[in-house]
Amino acid sequence: MGASLPPKEANLFKLIVKSYETKQYKKGLKAADAILKKFPDHGETLSMKGLTLNCMDRKPEAYELVRMGLKNDLKSHVCWHVYGLLYRSDREYREAIKCYRNALRIDPDNIEILRDLSLLQAQMRDLDGFVQTRQQLLTLKPNHRMNWIGFAVSHHLNSNASKAVEILEAYEGTLEDDYPPDNERCEHGEMLLYKVSLLEECGSHERAFAELQKKQFKIVDKLSFKEQEVTLLVKLGRLEEGAKLYKALLSMNPDNYRYYEGLQKCVGLRSENGQYSSDEIDKLDALYKSLGQDYTWSSAVKRIPLDFLQGNQFHEAADKYIRPLLTKGVPSLFSDLSPLYDHPGKAEVLEQLILELEHSIKANGTYPGRVDKEPPSTLLWTLFYLAQHYDRRGQYDLALTKIDEAISHTPTVIDLYSVKSRIMKHAGDLPAAAALADEARCMDLADRYINSECVKRMLQADQVPLAEKTAVLFTKDGDQHTNLHDMQCMWYELASGDSYFRQGDLGRALKKFLAVEKHYADITEDQFDFHSYCLRKMTLRAYVAMLKFQDRLHSHSYFQKAASGAIRCYLKLYDSPSKSTTEEDDETSKLLPSQKKKMRQKQRKAEARAKKEAEVKNEEQSASSISKSGKRHVKPVDPDPKGEKLLQVEDPLLEATKYLKLLQKNSPDSFETHLLSFEVNIRKQKVLLALQALKQMLRLDAENPDSHRCLIMFFHKVDSTTTPVTDAEKLIWSVLEAERLSLSQLHEKSLLEANMFFLEKHKESLMHRAAVAEMLYVLEPSKKCEAVTLIEESSNNIIPSGGALGAVSVWRLKDCIAVHKLINTVLADQDAAIRWKGRCAQYFPYSTYFEGKLSSAMPDSAYNQIGGKSPENGTAISHTHGDKITDSIASNGKLEGFKELTI
Amino acid sequence: MVCIRKATIDDLLAMQACNLLCLPENYQMKYYFYHILSWPQLLYVAEDYNGRIVGYVLAKMEEETNECHGHITSLAVLRTHRKLGLATKLMSAAQTAMEQVCLRVFGAEYVSLHVRKSNRAAFHLYTETLGYKIHDIEAKYYADGEDAYDMRKQLKGKQYHHHHHHHHAGGCCAPEPKSLEAKPESKSEAKSSTKA
Repeated sequence: MGASLPPKEANLFKLIVKSYETKQYKKGLKAADAILKKFPDHGETLSMKGLTLNCMDRKPEAYELVRMGLKNDLKSHVCWHVYGLLYRSDREYREAIKCYRNALRIDPDNIEILRDLSLLQAQMRDLDGFVQTRQQLLTLKPNHRMNWIGFAVSHHLNSNASKAVEILEAYEGTLEDDYPPDNERCEHGEMLLYKVSLLEECGSHERAFAELQKKQFKIVDKLSFKEQEVTLLVKLGRLEEGAKLYKALLSMNPDNYRYYEGLQKCVGLRSENGQYSSDEIDKLDALYKSLGQDYTWSSAVKRIPLDFLQGNQFHEAADKYIRPLLTKGVPSLFSDLSPLYDHPGKAEVLEQLILELEHSIKANGTYPGRVDKEPPSTLLWTLFYLAQHYDRRGQYDLALTKIDEAISHTPTVIDLYSVKSRIMKHAGDLPAAAALADEARCMDLADRYINSECVKRMLQADQVPLAEKTAVLFTKDGDQHTNLHDMQCMWYELASGDSYFRQGDLGRALKKFLAVEKHYADITEDQFDFHSYCLRKMTLRAYVAMLKFQDRLHSHSYFQKAASGAIRCYLKLYDSPSKSTTEEDDETSKLLPSQKKKMRQKQRKAEARAKKEAEVKNEEQSASSISKSGKRHVKPVDPDPKGEKLLQVEDPLLEATKYLKLLQKNSPDSFETHLLSFEVNIRKQKVLLALQALKQMLRLDAENPDSHRCLIMFFHKVDSTTTPVTDAEKLIWSVLEAERLSLSQLHEKSLLEANMFFLEKHKESLMHRAAVAEMLYVLEPSKKCEAVTLIEESSNNIIPSGGALGAVSVWRLKDCIAVHKLINTVLADQDAAIRWKGRCAQYFPYSTYFEGKLSSAMPDSAYNQIGGKSPENGTAISHTHGDKITDSIASNGKLEGFKELTI
Repeated sequence: MVCIRKATIDDLLAMQACNLLCLPENYQMKYYFYHILSWPQLLYVAEDYNGRIVGYVLAKMEEETNECHGHITSLAVLRTHRKLGLATKLMSAAQTAMEQVCLRVFGAEYVSLHVRKSNRAAFHLYTETLGYKIHDIEAKYYADGEDAYDMRKQLKGKQYHHHHHHHHAGGCCAPEPKSLEAKPESKSEAKSSTKA
């Protein structure tokens, strides 16, 4: 380095390098300029100056200098290395790898460059290259522990676990007998556990077990030791020993469900689908009864039997389980039992059981068959449970009756308002749900959880500015308005994105969705520093698990949501390029002017309140917090707050394709992925890709209404294009013909026939009928009336409720709204839309969308007053929903579709 | 009701989400990686019957000072899941792991944590249920200017003597590599959501 310079300048050059390493950039810059004064063309100095400037946020200059330096000294490994570092800093790893390779051509044994290269190879999963580089490093420096470990890990990642074991054993061979010294015991123990896990991965269970036993005293992490031991015992079929060890683990942590599962496996009482014979149930029951005596303080041991017990036994056990929890007032009891609602018959038993408890407490103040009086709160939590139970069953009127009763019983319990808010959301009144959540929030301003819940409800009700102001109460960070983005608060960004999308503000929606996508890119990036860190720390099991996690990172649900959100934005942008700015959302535009005014007033009031709270909080802070570090972080201003630039893309479909590819790669079994692929490719005129998407949809769910829609649309489009002319077109044509014959749905049927066939198959389902109607209209626009009739003749049947209270209809609010939009926009039949709306307002009296009688969209709704109420008082808002429902039904009995609705 | 188990890499996103719902002190994903890749034994989660992460504890070995000790970076339980003793169970699990791995090998003698002065519920949990004592008060510890109690609890380790080691600070107390220095401040706090 710095060769070819006279001694004085050579020293200065060393100073540049040192200054760079110690982040004293100004000093480095000075030294560089001193050299360049005498030797303006010195390549390595130019490069180092560029690298230094790169760290001072002067990127364009940096690239210019580094490139100039390289041009002046193509034979210098320093110049190539620096160029690689520059690319690396910009996450251009492929380019960086090329530069390192050039540097190594000049200086093949340069340890530093080899190490840097190996990190990039690990990051890019260039596993063959990674193995080679690690091998070279080990050959050059075999006395470094890290080089042995790195070589082993590289083979493991490259799917050669047995080679990795060999390397680790060779490494162990270099160690003294009394290894490790005290200060390396942790690391050495981790290495041994890693080796055992590798042996397990190779299927050498015997050897793994023997090795584990042999090294027992060198393994520090005793819990991991035991967990590994028990896994191996099970794999070796030594089930009795396994059961014993699981019991030992349970005595250390009787709340770990995985130990119970393991124990059940060992004693031959574990079925993956949860189905057991009555003999097995008896054995399981006995097992858990005996475990219950050993671990009296474990709640798991009491809860698990509810999963496998049936009939009377279930009833008895549930009763015994529930009573103390209601007495104690455990708010999560319903969520704890909710998985049982998917077991046939258990929901009915639970309903009956809790109603008995309620009845007995109301009548005598005691549980049935007991003499001890229950505290008053037991009734409260019983009602609380019932409200959630009815909510789950879709009986919103009953749910509201129960929660209102609970609120008038004890108006100060915050959870009641949260649950009521959730019921209102499910019932379709989002503004009322938001108002209730806000009421809950105001009862404890220091609790972020209820703040978050309230923000979520506000976003669901499309009150974005209000939601933002509310969230900020907890997210101010110094001067920064909100740190939600910096802290990767993805649920918030997704919920805002969804809301902006609903409101037609595609710019802001895109901005939020792409923000989430950026978080995932950052998380991928996060692994970089750990490639060297973990080799030093020896946390190898965790490290390899992290790399595997990174490989499937983009299949995570938040990413899926963000990517599909972005794709939908681009599709909408493509379909209607002019409509980019905010429009009033559907719901507001449908309200009467007086209602709009009222709503705006309400929002303004709430916003003013939030602002005031923020100010108070601010004052409290500002006195004390010029931040500990003493300096204020100034955040650069967002140049595109409305996302307008994002809307100015030349080709929205091209952008959509970027995200689509990520979905196709990472979520190939998600129906939505292929639905979006179909929508994108049909617009791009990529017929074969659209067909591929269609076939994937049929593979995943052939009976899905969307599969049917896409199928008919696709071949309708094919049929209506002109006959092929070019050779390529003819080729595509022949593929399509062949594929068409292979689709059973279209076998020997015209599209119209296929459409009707689908109808016959799914006559009872609203969404299937709607899809058929839409396709009928697409195929023959003259049959619009028939299409509308097809939808209107759908009937909303009652779900057989097994004798439980009340009755529930099959139709879901979400679907009915979708159908309304279909009638209104696609079929464009305003009269039918009005009829549909009126009919659904009966089914969903709380729905603001349908302007149900009991919804806050109605001027006389009780919920309309919520926003105006002083939030602190917490006094009960108790309405008599039951009565109202009867009223509304009686007065609207004349409606056509109503005949089928029996209450 | 709720499963208490060691956290895996796959839990980290859910832990971050849980933290963002409950607490005002938040961290980027990298900080969670840093924890699990440094002390994989010291992270625990509470997972409910629906597979949802409803609470977690994020703990570490404090290695910046000469005196090596355990530190609770962050503890949270969803408000909806209070009254189940989850905070206590999570803390005990992390503490046991510290006693096993850290005290025996590195002579870490105590665990420390910070809690907001105003957070009575969490303070009560730490003092009454878990046996922490106030060691110091850190003025204006939190971003909003609130003071923190610096609390400590002695680790009990004498029963693990079959592999006795002298107390010394080394190994795990090595300074962090440069590349990770940019991690956020490790402010911990337990919230009122831990009304155990």
